[in-house]
Amino acid sequence: MSENVLHIDHLTMRFGGVVAVNDLSMDINKGEIVALIGPNGAGKTTAFNMVTGVYQPTEGHITLLGQDITGRRPDEITKLGIARTFQNIRLFSSMTVFENVLTAHHLRRTSNFLTATFRLNAAEERRMRQETEALLKEVGLYELRDEMATSLPYGKQRLLEIARALATKPSVLLLDEPAAGMNPQETEELGEFIKQIKDKFQLTVFLIEHHMNLVMGISDRIYVIDFGKQIAEGTPFEVQNNPAVIAAYLGVEEEEGQAEEEVEQR
Amino acid sequence: MWNTVFPYLLSGISVGGQYALIAIGYTMVYGILRLINFAHGDVFMVAGIVMVYMAASGLPLGICIPLVLVITALIGFVIERVAYKPLRTAPRMSAMISAIGVSYTLQNLVLYITGGLNQIYPTIPWISSSVTIFGATTKMVTLVTPVLTLILVVALVWLINHTKIGMAMRAVSRDFETSQLMGIKINRVISTTFVIGTFLAGVASLLYFTNYTTVIQTSGAMPGLKAFVAAVVGGIGSIPGAVVGAFIIGIAENIIKGLDIILFRLGVIKGPMGLATFSDAFTFALLIIILAVKPTGLFGEKITDKV
Amino acid sequence: MSNNLQKKKIDSATILSAVIVLAVYALVFLAEQTLPATSMLFTVLKKGATYALVAVSMNLLNGFTGLFSLGQAGFMLIGAYVYGIFTIPVMSRMDVYQYYNGGLVQFTLPVFVAMLLAGLAAAFFAFLIGLPVLRLKSDYLAIATLGFAEIIRALFQWDKLGPITNGSNMLRLFPTFNDFNIRGADGQVTVYLSTLMPLLISGVCIGVIILLINSTFGRALRAMKDDEIAAEAMGIRLASHKRLAFCISSFFAGVGGAMLAMYQNTVQAKSFTTAMTYEILLIVVIGGLGSVTGSCISSFLFVACSEWWLRFLDQKQVLGGFEVPLLRNGFRLVVFSIIIMIVVLFFRQGIMGTKELPDLIRGWQGRGKRQAKGVRSK
Repeated sequence: MSENVLHIDHLTMRFGGVVAVNDLSMDINKGEIVALIGPNGAGKTTAFNMVTGVYQPTEGHITLLGQDITGRRPDEITKLGIARTFQNIRLFSSMTVFENVLTAHHLRRTSNFLTATFRLNAAEERRMRQETEALLKEVGLYELRDEMATSLPYGKQRLLEIARALATKPSVLLLDEPAAGMNPQETEELGEFIKQIKDKFQLTVFLIEHHMNLVMGISDRIYVIDFGKQIAEGTPFEVQNNPAVIAAYLGVEEEEGQAEEEVEQR
Repeated sequence: MWNTVFPYLLSGISVGGQYALIAIGYTMVYGILRLINFAHGDVFMVAGIVMVYMAASGLPLGICIPLVLVITALIGFVIERVAYKPLRTAPRMSAMISAIGVSYTLQNLVLYITGGLNQIYPTIPWISSSVTIFGATTKMVTLVTPVLTLILVVALVWLINHTKIGMAMRAVSRDFETSQLMGIKINRVISTTFVIGTFLAGVASLLYFTNYTTVIQTSGAMPGLKAFVAAVVGGIGSIPGAVVGAFIIGIAENIIKGLDIILFRLGVIKGPMGLATFSDAFTFALLIIILAVKPTGLFGEKITDKV
Repeated sequence: MSNNLQKKKIDSATILSAVIVLAVYALVFLAEQTLPATSMLFTVLKKGATYALVAVSMNLLNGFTGLFSLGQAGFMLIGAYVYGIFTIPVMSRMDVYQYYNGGLVQFTLPVFVAMLLAGLAAAFFAFLIGLPVLRLKSDYLAIATLGFAEIIRALFQWDKLGPITNGSNMLRLFPTFNDFNIRGADGQVTVYLSTLMPLLISGVCIGVIILLINSTFGRALRAMKDDEIAAEAMGIRLASHKRLAFCISSFFAGVGGAMLAMYQNTVQAKSFTTAMTYEILLIVVIGGLGSVTGSCISSFLFVACSEWWLRFLDQKQVLGGFEVPLLRNGFRLVVFSIIIMIVVLFFRQGIMGTKELPDLIRGWQGRGKRQAKGVRSK
């Protein structure tokens, strides 16, 4: 068993009377790709938001590499090594592709505002730019570096979000529906890409995704939640044959169209 | 002691009522559009100027007063259509800047028309007359204001809770987009909100300027800001909150005006401290404290951002 | 294709911009030596330089960081007072602080030290007020900073602080822009610098702001403006960066306040009203939120129109025997208001949008294709 990276311990999130995440526990080990799946509104993004510090969990703890990060600010958590992308793309709209990635280097700065203003940090600035350039080449966005980020096609924007997250030099990468809005071919490429960067940057990947082909294709393990509660955990094969999972996806309560679509994809 | 404090308390209640009527306009507009209508205080001032000019034209006051209210409401309607409606989909900062632009425009227009001189407000009979109550002499308007304010607030709350347009207003303030999808005529609701808000500001101007007797282009700025603070203190979007906040601010500011004398009589201080300087500043200190401690105000609801 | 590593190296458009700015300075210097000192041009340039600095400092917050602050007049007030208090010559203090027995401060600092102190004092107050208010969302922040400015205005007029602030009386007799002129032994001015110096001070300050905006910190601020949640997720600590922007903006507003004091020759707390903040905000909007160049151009235009070019609107004018209707005191401001509303409603990008002078030059050079896309459409 390899080293535990992210440990989620009995996490609960209540909004008023609504329990969005209910007693969720997860373990993610170094070098794994772990997916969190579940019907719409199951609490997946809420779980992400707790891990990244956007929400304070009502109960429970989150541990990163043995360090308790529960309730820390998002920027602190990023500095500690968890980077994320967003379900609804959140790029810096006034910036070019290059600047978007360059900005993500800010957190590793050693300069302060005075040394930065008066250009006493030239070496560091040069290094940031070099690294940005290298990263853009790595993900294949180098040719588009001077385009405005929001003028890119959708798939490229998702890619840029990943590149931006990588620029913070994370040990764990959280991807919130990275394939949303992508066609099957793009989705397949994305799967390859995730595996590539995982090896290249020695990452641990934690993702939320609806595209079952992608999830089943790249995940080492899968957690399934419904109504905020974990209903299954295991390898893709185990999860696909788990009756509780099938019930949740074929369940009559809600999201029928969505569930059928996903079953078909399988 | 009572004799020292009472006159200040009395004028505090009176001014509080006037602020309340202005604050309702702020809080309703904010509730629906999430816009601080910086021009609201200036509309209040314009209502005063309209009254001055109308009375000077020789119209009897019995016609002037309703006419002023109608014209003020009309001004509110026009401002919304011209300056805010085109910016409805623009970033919030744009609409706020537009509101500041309208405020600037109204002040400059009045400066141009009046030549920047203090205008004497016409004397409205009965409410301008003096009365003595518990040993304190004051104008009738001081007593009329809180009563009239409460009547209007009750009427307004009834309107909001029991009429179709009131229901539409509540729906829009809860969720702008969904209400639109549900077939509520957003523009009508917003216009009605502005008309009601400015109408009440018009009523406030009748009471306020009867008390202070002169109007100048900057007369609306400070009462406007204070009324907005009242709305924030009470919890923006909440009408009872705005009223309570307005009374708190009105009373506090007037007590502070007399604080030197009160404290001197109490033997706390030996000579004048000049504390009256802070009667306006107090309002803003209260604002900052409330925002720091309970940003949703006394009666406000919490809004969470969606990620 | 220019390489991004090289992009930071200075390109010809930037050099040309610098040349243009230097040429303007040279022209001003020449004009000042040759034209009569009473020319309206100099009034406009002095006041314009002051407003340009204040407008750019406000733009740093409202345009670049996305913090809607309306406290500018308050920070200018602090700067103006600090400057005045510490530069009034000791021998004049008895005249100025006549009701306070000459006041408490009985020494005089050099002009530039006092200006620096003016900025630092404003920044310090910004730090204090930032603690509670910077956590607030856009419109609440606006009203809280506005309220802060009003509190400061009252505080500086408080009688009990009179020995320091001179209460509600004005500060005067401190060094003004005219004292930058170099005089010969006979007291006659030999070199006129009273216009060039404010332009230089303002220029240096704005230069520093430009450097900040283009540094890694400037990028972080822009990121927060674009998307706070994403910025935070990229490890940018919102609170400290907001505070940084707020303090730096206030520092330069304080320096601008000191310059305003020098321009006006007197300082009185009651003149630093909310209306002053509104005016500066409108200048920023007309220039373009997010453009330093725009704020500068707009400041000079605004001052030139209000002090000079549109003055005729305030007086009766007779053309060919007819008296032009409407023209009388205050009409200029009405025209102004209408222009402002037209800009706010129909030309929301303002004069410059988010473009800067070098962007314009690149456009003229005809190789601005890629930059043209850089007109950061929002």
